[in-house]
Amino acid sequence: MDNLHPLESKVLLALARKPGVPPTLDQLAESTGLEPSQLSMAVEWLLAKSLIAVHSETVAHIASLTPVGELFFEKYSPIERVLSAAREAGQTGRRLTIQDIQAKEALEPSDVSKAVGTLKKEGAILIVQGGCIESTGRNSATAEGMRSLLQDLRSGQRELQSFSEPLRNVLQQHAVKRGNAREPFRIDERVTRSFVLTPSGQEVAEQLSRDGVAEEVSQLTPELLKEGAWRTKRFRKYTISLRAPRIAAGKRHPYREFLDLVKLKLVSMGFQEMRGTLVETEFWNMDALFMPQFHPARDIHDVYFVKNPTHARTIAEPYLTQVTQVHEKGTGAGSTGWGYPLDAERAKRLVLRSQGTAVSARTLAAGASVPGKYFSIARCFRYDQVDAPHATDFFQVEGIVLGADINFRTLLGLLNLFAREVAQAKEVKFLPAYFPFTEPSVEMHVRHPKLGWMELGGAGLFRPEVTTPLGVSVPVIAWGLGLDRMAMVALGIHDIRDLFSADLEFIRTMRGSF
Amino acid sequence: MPTISLQRDDLEALIAGPDEKPARIPLDQLEQWLMLVKGELKGHNAETGELRIELQDSNRPDLWCCEGIARQIRIKQRGSAISYPFFKKAKRVAGKLVVAPGMEQVRPYVAACTAVGYRVTASGLTQLIQTQEKLADIFGRKRRSVSIGLYRLAPIVFPVSYDLVKPDDVRFTPLGMETMMTLREILMVHPKGVEYGGIVGGHDRLPVLRDANGQVLSFPPIINSREIGEVQVGDHELFVEVTGTDLPMVALTLNIFAANLADRGAVITPVEIQSSVKTSFGRRWNTPIDFGAPRAIPLKAIESALGEPLGGKEVTSALKSYGYTVKAAGQKVAVQLPPYRNDLLHTVDVVEDVAISQGYARFAPVMPSQFTVGGLSRLEQMADRVRHLMVGLEFQEIISNIMGSHQDFCTRMRLDGTDWAKVVEVDNVMSLSYSCLRQWITPSLLQVEANSSRAFYPHRMFEVGEVAIPDASADVGSRTVTMLGAVIAHAGAHFSEIHSCVDLLLYYLDRPFTLEPVDHPSFLDGRAGKIVSNGRVIGLLGEVHPEVLEHWQIGVPAVALEWEIDRLLEEV
Repeated sequence: MDNLHPLESKVLLALARKPGVPPTLDQLAESTGLEPSQLSMAVEWLLAKSLIAVHSETVAHIASLTPVGELFFEKYSPIERVLSAAREAGQTGRRLTIQDIQAKEALEPSDVSKAVGTLKKEGAILIVQGGCIESTGRNSATAEGMRSLLQDLRSGQRELQSFSEPLRNVLQQHAVKRGNAREPFRIDERVTRSFVLTPSGQEVAEQLSRDGVAEEVSQLTPELLKEGAWRTKRFRKYTISLRAPRIAAGKRHPYREFLDLVKLKLVSMGFQEMRGTLVETEFWNMDALFMPQFHPARDIHDVYFVKNPTHARTIAEPYLTQVTQVHEKGTGAGSTGWGYPLDAERAKRLVLRSQGTAVSARTLAAGASVPGKYFSIARCFRYDQVDAPHATDFFQVEGIVLGADINFRTLLGLLNLFAREVAQAKEVKFLPAYFPFTEPSVEMHVRHPKLGWMELGGAGLFRPEVTTPLGVSVPVIAWGLGLDRMAMVALGIHDIRDLFSADLEFIRTMRGSF
Repeated sequence: MPTISLQRDDLEALIAGPDEKPARIPLDQLEQWLMLVKGELKGHNAETGELRIELQDSNRPDLWCCEGIARQIRIKQRGSAISYPFFKKAKRVAGKLVVAPGMEQVRPYVAACTAVGYRVTASGLTQLIQTQEKLADIFGRKRRSVSIGLYRLAPIVFPVSYDLVKPDDVRFTPLGMETMMTLREILMVHPKGVEYGGIVGGHDRLPVLRDANGQVLSFPPIINSREIGEVQVGDHELFVEVTGTDLPMVALTLNIFAANLADRGAVITPVEIQSSVKTSFGRRWNTPIDFGAPRAIPLKAIESALGEPLGGKEVTSALKSYGYTVKAAGQKVAVQLPPYRNDLLHTVDVVEDVAISQGYARFAPVMPSQFTVGGLSRLEQMADRVRHLMVGLEFQEIISNIMGSHQDFCTRMRLDGTDWAKVVEVDNVMSLSYSCLRQWITPSLLQVEANSSRAFYPHRMFEVGEVAIPDASADVGSRTVTMLGAVIAHAGAHFSEIHSCVDLLLYYLDRPFTLEPVDHPSFLDGRAGKIVSNGRVIGLLGEVHPEVLEHWQIGVPAVALEWEIDRLLEEV
C-alpha cells in the first residue's frame, strides 16, 4: 500500500469510482486521462500485486485497409474497373477481351481474372463467343460493397461485427490471407480485457479515497532538507529489483592484480625485489649462467638480437675474465669447464632479455646479501611464432635464495612453501629436470584445486661455475615459477594473448577469482 | 631438447635385456622410470605402439634414443653398470683407419668400429637413423661438430683412409642419386650438399673416406656413397664412423653408437685410428675408447649438497645403479662415468645423479631457516603509488606487449624523422608486427582505443609499464624506463581533463610542476605541453592530433599523458 506509484493510485481510484460495469483499457484511459503506455504499465503492476483482476476477456475482429486497399481507394478496385470497362464497351459497341482490359487498365492478370469470375457469377457480365466480355447491365453487389468498404475503412479501422452481413462476406473474401497478400483488407483479432478491483484492491482504494493521495516526491533535494519540508512528503519507493545502469570503474588490470598478489606473497615470504633491463648482453643473459656459447643448451634460448648498437662497449670486470676462465677451464669453481675459448665479442652482443635469470645473475654480481632472498617479475622475450600458447613478451617470475643452509632439501622446502603460498596446493611432486645453470635441478608439479596436476615451476642449485665467478661463495637456489596458466584459470581465459588484450570491453568485464 | 619416437615393444625388449623375456610395462610405471632419464611421455599411440618421449638433458645425448633410455632403466633394475668388453684394451681390431695430414685444418677427428651379428630390422633401422639424426642435428649442431655414417661392412677393405682431395678429383654415386658426381657437383646440386656444404665449403680440399681399393665410403659430413653407405633391413655386418671437430665429442658419439648396437646384440670390434698429428689420445688409438677418468669426491661434498647424511654405502649403491663405476675409499668415493657419457664437469653433476638414482622422494623437504627482510624496489613502490592514484581517478589499467612495430610506435604517431622516433630495433625480425620495443606507452593505449569503439564511453585508461629508450651513454645502448601512459577518449575529450589529472597526481606526489608548450607531431599544435618539474622535463600531455586518430581509425577525440616514473625518484 505504501509503495503505490501515483499511476497505480489513479487507476485504483478510477475503478472504485465507477462500480458496476468493469471498464476496458480504453474506458480507463478516458476516466484516468492517462497516456496508453502509462496506463498499461500501471495495470500490469496492479495485476502483479493482485489489487485488480481481469473481469472478462473478449476477442474482437477488427477490419482495416491494407496498402493495397489504399491503392484501390485511389484508383478503384479491379472489379469496378472491369465492370465499368465492360459497360463502356457495351455503349460504344466495341468488342472487349480480357487481354484488352489488362492492357487498357494496366491490371495484374490474376486480379482481372478474379474480378471477371466474380462479376460473371453475379450475372453482371457475360462471356460470349471469342472470349469477349459483355455487360448485362445488372449491378454487382461485390463491386458496390467493395466501394463502400473502401470508403468506410479509409477513415479508420472498424469492428467486423459493425458491418452488415453481405459486407462482412465481401470483407472476408477480400482480406489478406496466408498465401495471398494482394488484398485490400485485413482482419485482426483484438483482445479486450475489462478489469475489476479485487477485495484487497477494494480495501486499498477505499483507504486511498479516505486518506487522499499523499504528494510523493522522487528525489530528496537540498531545498526539502533546508526547509524541513521532507517531513510532510512521501518518498516514492523504487523497484529495486531492476537492473542497475552500467558504469565503468577505475581499476587495476585483473592480470596485474594477480601479479600484485604474487608480489605481495613473495615480499611477505622475505623476498626483495630486483629489477633489470629489457636489453641485455649475451654475457648476462647466458654466459654468466654457464651456458656455453657452442652448446645445444643455448638453442633453447633462441633470442632476439638488437640491431643498433649490436654490442655493448664493455662487460664489467672482473666478471668477464672470471666467467671466461670458468667456461674454459672451470677455474676457481672446482670444475673441468667446457674446454673452449669464450668469445668476448659474442658476450657483448646485445639481445632482448630471454630469461629473468639474467636479472638474478646481475644481482649476484652486484653483491647480494647472505642470507638473501630475491625475486623479479621480469618481462622476457622469446624468438618464437606468436600463437595461443606463446606471446612475444611475457612476465617471468623468478629469483634466488642465498645462504649457508642452502642444499637440495632446503630447495625442496622452499618449493613446498611456494606451492602452498602461491598455488594453495597441498600436494607436491618433485621431478628431475634440466636447466643449463643448475645442478641438481627440479621441476615442481602441484595439484591445483582446479587444474589438477600441473607444473608450477622449475628450480635448482646454481652450479658453482655460475656463482664462483660472480664472487658468491655460498650455495644459491635459483627458482622460476610458471604462473600464466594459473593466471588464465583465475581470470577465466583460454588464450595467453588475452592477458595482454587490447579490447577495453573485455578488460572491463574480465574479473579474477583468486 | 629432442623428442623421439620409439616402439613400446622395442623399448620393453631392450629394458628386459638379451637374456630375459620382455614384459609389458604399464605406462604409469614407465612414466616413473622416465624420471631416471629426465624424460616425459608426450604421447602414446595404442594402435601402432608408438611412444613419444621428450628428453630434457642436453648434456646426455646417450639418452636421446630407445637403447639409451632402456639402458638407464635396466641398470637401475640390476643395480650395477653394464660392462661393454670392447671398451677394454682390445686383443683384435677390425682394421685401421688412417687420417691424412692436413685434415686438422678441415675436419680433424674420426672414430669408427664394426658391428657384426645384429640383423637390422625395420624398427631397428628406424631407430638407428633417428639416433643418427638427433645426435648430428642437436648434439653435433647440424653436423658441424659431429656427423655420423653407417655402412655395410662386407664391401669395405681395410685400411680405410680419411683423406683430403680436390673437389673435382673424386667421383662417386651419392645416396639419393643415380649417377656419379664429383664432390663439387655434390656441393652444388645434391640437397644435402646444398644444406650442409657450408661446413666444409671454403676449403680447397675436401674430406673423403675411402677403403683400401679406393672405393668411396662417403664425403663427410655431407653424404654417403650409395653402394656402401646404404644400410638396409637384413644387413648384419655394419661399419660405423663419426667425424667432427671436437675429439671428445666424436669419440663419445661413437661410444654411444657402439653401446646401442651392442645392446641390440651386435659384437663390436674396434678400429685403430692412425693420426699424423698428435692428439690428446696420442697418434694411434682404438675406438670405441673409454676416455673418462676416475674422480675422487669427498663424501661430505655430496652429503652437504643434498642435506642428507647418506653414508658411503648408499652413495655407492646409488651411483652404481645409475651406471657409474664406484670405489669407496674412506671419506672419499672414486667415481667414473660409463664411456657413453661425458658430462661430469663438477661434483654437483654426481650429486644430482645420486639424487635421481635414489628418487627425489628420498629427500624430505626442509624449510630454509634464515631470516631475510622482504621488500619492493623504490621504483616499484613509486609505480604502485601512481597506479593507485590513477585507479582513484577512474582509469582502467591496461597491460600491453612491449614488442611491437615501428608503424604503431612511430609512423602512426607522426614521429618519423624526429628524435622521438628512435627505438630499439630487432635484427632478426620474425614478423614486422614485432620488430621493435616501444619507446612510449601512448601508442599501446591508442591501440586499445582503436579496438574498443563498441565499449561505452568515456574511455579512461592507463598503463604503468616498461619502455626502452635508445641512449648511447647507457651500458646496453638503451635505458629501460618505467612510464605512466594515460588516454581519455570520448566525444568531448579535452585538454583540461588530462591536465586536471596531471595536476592532481603531481600534487599528491608532492612534485611542483609547470607546463611549457611543446611542438610534438603526435599532438595538436598549441594543445600540448611538457611537464617540467625541478628544471627537468618529466613528461608530456596534449590533445592527440586528428591525423594520428585517423591513422589508428579512431572516431572520437582523445587526450594523452605520458611521463617517466623513474624521474620521480630523483632528489628534488
